Amino acid sequence: MMMTIIKGSTVAAEGHGHSPIEQFEIRELVPINLFGIDASLTNSGAYMLLALGLIFSYLYFSTGGRSLVPTRLQSISEILYEFIASTVRENVGAKGMQFFPLVFTLFIFVLVLNLLGMIPIPGVTFTVTSHIAVTATLALLVISIVIFYGLYTHGIGFFGIFVPSGVPPALLPLLIPIEIISFISRPISLSVRLFANMLAGHIALKIFAGFIGLLLGGGIWALLAPLPLALTVALTALEVLVAVLQAYVFAVLTCIYLSDAVHGAH
Amino acid sequence: MSPTGKGSDEHNGKISQEARAEIKRRSAEIGRKLEAARPTLQDRSQSNGDRQNASHEAMGRALRLSTELIGGIVVGAALGWYLDNYLMPYLFGVKTWPLMFIIFFLLGSAAGMLNVVRSGMKMKTGPSNPSRGRAVPDDDDDDN
Repeated sequence: MMMTIIKGSTVAAEGHGHSPIEQFEIRELVPINLFGIDASLTNSGAYMLLALGLIFSYLYFSTGGRSLVPTRLQSISEILYEFIASTVRENVGAKGMQFFPLVFTLFIFVLVLNLLGMIPIPGVTFTVTSHIAVTATLALLVISIVIFYGLYTHGIGFFGIFVPSGVPPALLPLLIPIEIISFISRPISLSVRLFANMLAGHIALKIFAGFIGLLLGGGIWALLAPLPLALTVALTALEVLVAVLQAYVFAVLTCIYLSDAVHGAH
Repeated sequence: MSPTGKGSDEHNGKISQEARAEIKRRSAEIGRKLEAARPTLQDRSQSNGDRQNASHEAMGRALRLSTELIGGIVVGAALGWYLDNYLMPYLFGVKTWPLMFIIFFLLGSAAGMLNVVRSGMKMKTGPSNPSRGRAVPDDDDDDN
């Protein structure tokens, strides 16, 4: 009986749709060549454009009415605005509200991409944020803004964030490298966290969903098929939670890093 | 504001007109400051009071800690490896492997732990603490 399952799994893997990492494959949709640079529209790019279109049209049309008593759609937009505005105000302070557009854009972009990846369309579904190239680009954007804005407002004094206060000078040669490494690790942990969560979650979903088909094709083992089905349903709920949570964590960490740039060393 | 004003009035019954005016002016000022501070306070507690938010937030913060530690170690090790194999031979023509790698691995581990401790401290006494202080106990009672 076990052999049947194993045989079934190899057959399935050779076919299509059962490899857990196939969903992360980048496919070229429209080949574009810009001065020797491959700038083709891929499924990843198409998903980003779709997310942009959705975000823009939703925010545009839901806030277009500007009614004093908001409609349902408008109040969702307002809740989103309030939510991010209070996050920025709490973590960066009133001075940080100039970065509100950046944080809001990052949050809603990551959120919509994460959630779009949760909508299963066979052969199409793709989670853009499960690629480290995307999340690392966003993290590098954040950290460059922190560095440039910090240098712009505090000049060379910005590097004071590497010098912990209230420490005996003898320890500084040890502590400054630690602070610098800690600073460099920020964009890495920021990007790896988002990418790893999305990647692992989608692989787990796919594997457990794959078990259902394998068990159904395994004769008497089909009786066990409802177990992975139940698990997949539960995992899907968890993944939706993770999708929202990770977008929020990304926004909060952006705020925390920006507060270094705004307030400088203490 | 009024208890203070009253108290000082009762204590020295023969209060001068000038001092009375001063006290009135001060209490009015405190009132104005309170009024100014109130909207922001309300704003905060409202936005944070959303019921499910606090527990989700806590989970997000917990997920954060693991990558903080790994990030520090990876950056430290990578820096040390780069110094050993590229920068030191290029600048001074010496091959220091694995000295720098070891040193920076240890520094990186320290940085990783520093990251964890920092974000742990931020959870407890973060800038958003005053409003969270009230929101969290309520939610915990409901959820558990």
